[in-house]
Amino acid sequence: MTAPYDVAVIGAGVMGCSTALHLARAGMKVVLLDRGEICREASGVNAGTLTMQMTRAALIPYALRAHAMWMRMGEWCDGGHVQAVDCPGLSVAFTEHEVAMLEERAHFRRQAGAPIEIVSTARAREIEPGLSDKALLAGHCPIDGFTSAYLTGRAFRPALLNAGVDLRERCAVRGVQPGFSIDTEEGEIRATRLVLAGGVWLQDMAAWLGITLPIKVLINQLVVTERLPPVMRTVLGVASGLLSLKQYANGTVLIGGGWQGIGDRQRGGLAVKPDSFLGNVRLAAHTIPALRDARVVRSWLGLEAETADALPAIGPIPGVADAWIIGSVHSGYTSGPYMGKLLAQAICGQAPELPLFPIDRLLAKDQAA
Amino acid sequence: MAAATEAAQRGASVVVFDESPAPGGQVYRAPPAGYAMPADPDRLEGDALRAALAASGAVVKTGHRVWGVGGGPLVPLGEDAAPFRIDALAPDGSNSVTEARALVLATGTHERIIPFPGWTLPGVLGLAAATILLKANGVLPGRRVVVAGAGPLLYAVAAKVAKAGATVAAVVDLAATSEWLAALPALMARPDLLTRGAAWRASLTLKGVPILPAHRIVAAEGDKVLRRVRVAPLGGGEERVIDCDALTIGHGLVPATEATRAFRAAHRYEATAGGWVPVLDEDRRTSIARLYACGDGSGVRGAAAAPASGRLAALAALRDLGLIDSTTHATARSAPAANFARAARAGGAMARMMALRPALVAAIPPDTIICRCEGVTRAQIEAAVTDGATAMNQVKQFTRCGMGPCQGRMCGEAAAELVAAKVGGREKAGFATGRVPLRPVAMDALLGDFDYADIPVPRPAPI
Amino acid sequence: MDVIARRDMLTSVADDLRIAGMTRPAPVAFTFDGATFSAPEGESLAAALIACGIRRLGDGLDPARPRAALCMMGVCQQCLLRVDGRLAQACLVLVRAGMVVTPA
Repeated sequence: MTAPYDVAVIGAGVMGCSTALHLARAGMKVVLLDRGEICREASGVNAGTLTMQMTRAALIPYALRAHAMWMRMGEWCDGGHVQAVDCPGLSVAFTEHEVAMLEERAHFRRQAGAPIEIVSTARAREIEPGLSDKALLAGHCPIDGFTSAYLTGRAFRPALLNAGVDLRERCAVRGVQPGFSIDTEEGEIRATRLVLAGGVWLQDMAAWLGITLPIKVLINQLVVTERLPPVMRTVLGVASGLLSLKQYANGTVLIGGGWQGIGDRQRGGLAVKPDSFLGNVRLAAHTIPALRDARVVRSWLGLEAETADALPAIGPIPGVADAWIIGSVHSGYTSGPYMGKLLAQAICGQAPELPLFPIDRLLAKDQAA
Repeated sequence: MAAATEAAQRGASVVVFDESPAPGGQVYRAPPAGYAMPADPDRLEGDALRAALAASGAVVKTGHRVWGVGGGPLVPLGEDAAPFRIDALAPDGSNSVTEARALVLATGTHERIIPFPGWTLPGVLGLAAATILLKANGVLPGRRVVVAGAGPLLYAVAAKVAKAGATVAAVVDLAATSEWLAALPALMARPDLLTRGAAWRASLTLKGVPILPAHRIVAAEGDKVLRRVRVAPLGGGEERVIDCDALTIGHGLVPATEATRAFRAAHRYEATAGGWVPVLDEDRRTSIARLYACGDGSGVRGAAAAPASGRLAALAALRDLGLIDSTTHATARSAPAANFARAARAGGAMARMMALRPALVAAIPPDTIICRCEGVTRAQIEAAVTDGATAMNQVKQFTRCGMGPCQGRMCGEAAAELVAAKVGGREKAGFATGRVPLRPVAMDALLGDFDYADIPVPRPAPI
Repeated sequence: MDVIARRDMLTSVADDLRIAGMTRPAPVAFTFDGATFSAPEGESLAAALIACGIRRLGDGLDPARPRAALCMMGVCQQCLLRVDGRLAQACLVLVRAGMVVTPA
């Protein structure tokens, strides 16, 4: 039997990696477990958008700090990086209804600290010459950007190993006993503390501890074009939040926005829905007309977790000493590295820089603390 | 063609999609409209299959690029399997959606070319590609051609080039003479093929074409285009330089399994069938209900075996749909089953000859580009494995290898072999998940004309 | 013949690589990169360009990986170019009179 760890983190996505890294750097002996490979689920297949204009207002303070972390990832992650690009973001309205939505949402986000200003179409097209002249109004946020999310696992891995984290990939956990005894495919692992960081699988993980935590699964669709000459230079969205569009340095344009495909927790992302596929690319081409000339190369799906109130689950697990949970953060990739840092502060007994999101509110009365 | 003909003749309502202007695939490809060229045995066989298909009542949609598949098992949890869906672009650029209760995949193969320095030079062409150029278009790949790689296509292409009056500078065969001799017993079942093969070789010998057994292309060289190749014996030894303006090279055929992978059907790795192939029962049923695979796309067994496997697939589909009873099925399947077994014996021997040779992959220099779409080298792929990638999906993420427009079809074999050598085999290295679109699809064709109000934008998330 | 000289220096005689002894449709004119060529109507564009002595179909994204026909069956995507302004794979396009072909 292995010597007990100070903490076992289950789930090696961006939340689990950041939590594990910060805990190890605080001096803890950490084991990080994943049934698959590091950042191969949502953390490695998402759109890499670091926008404030799709982030829930309550999460803006977190997202702003995380944006800065992503941009300087090499400095705190032993050189590991995700090719983060710092650029302005625009959120566009095409109808009067969307204009109202844009202004309302920009107001709330501005109150939460995002420096969003409403600009005319003419001004928006100075910022983004590729933008359609059909736009009526736009929200402009100078703090925006994107990463190549597929590099996330490769970026975190060396830093985790350098910090002494025992990274165990392809090591599925079958169950957990308080104390903690973790039943894995490679045998029992014992740890003093437990962190559940399992994305859409948090519902199953919480059940190991007898906790009923309903987690809704979103099956987010992404579409990518082949390499194109430059057609845009910002992160573009629409007022409703159902488009995210950016062009990478290699020329490919990534089209997202959370259109739903077919899939589930058990089987993963299975297939795009034809209507969603077409709707998403039409919305993209309506926004950046030059995309009409592109070829679509690939589409895929990523699973996003959502709690009943669509706010995060980050904090202690009520009724189970030394057990913690982190996940279900809307636009979770954007805020991910900062959320892990906060949870690590709490686990180490410090007061986190910003409040956590305890899950008592999400549990039935008899389970809440 | 055979599957559609069999099904339609037995009363099923059948639609066939093919990207080419006429049915026939690669081996039985029809000449372009307005062409008249001397017929060879493949053409005659192809014409017969085409005539039967035309008379069968099946709807044949040629010039249709199938870019999407869906339905079947790809439905929300708890729902019954849906009809299969086929998304295709018609020749006029319009998009069409077709639904079917059963789907037979006859997707054929694409060529395996194990990279070597200079393989990106214009003038380097696939061996199967050269066959298409020669047979379907009557165009020579060059005036002075080196023909290299593995399998019977080597000699077919070389003989055709020589007969047309161009110079075959050399035939560079990966196989040793002893390997051809070892394949002879299996070929005895197909005296026609044996005779053709012998005639090809004799014609080359007669013209004094150098045949280099157990040799490989070390590098292709030239400034803007190919000028010469360097060749060497497989086991090492002195290199020689051969001037040429074309190199046709192929290291075997790889089943095109993107559709079965997109359906998440079970697959297994079988090197002597060309690589990853769908798991099939003896009637060509995949692990997915009412999804069938036939021809070389389901495991390389040669063109002669393909029609028999197509008939088996069609009969199984008709049986599973209740369109024929079990007695009819049992009677009808016996002839194609026997034909398949017979043809597959010779086809299997040739497939073994064309199986991937790990030594060829091991010989790739570190800075050679493996993935042409994304410019990823051998060294970069191996660095990704050193950095913790253990399987093809992860190598793709770490390096972009296979993320380009060909979606890993050209680089996948060499890349997987490089990973396999480090992680302990092709099964462990796995394969990249199948994704729609199956081929790049022009946004313009997809989009059509639309109004903003027509876009079904979902409800926004809460603020 | 400028284009041929600049791109290939392979051959200066169009039709040089077409195998004799077969009936083809009448040749039609098309342009590639501004120069005029002729090929039988309905011939695969990739084959027509090879027959006209043009191997290098453009520099593509990286001169180390230029555009050129490789698989001839629509798979490899290496022969991508523009036909009448639209992206197309040369091996899947048939020659038509007056088509304007440019590198992609």
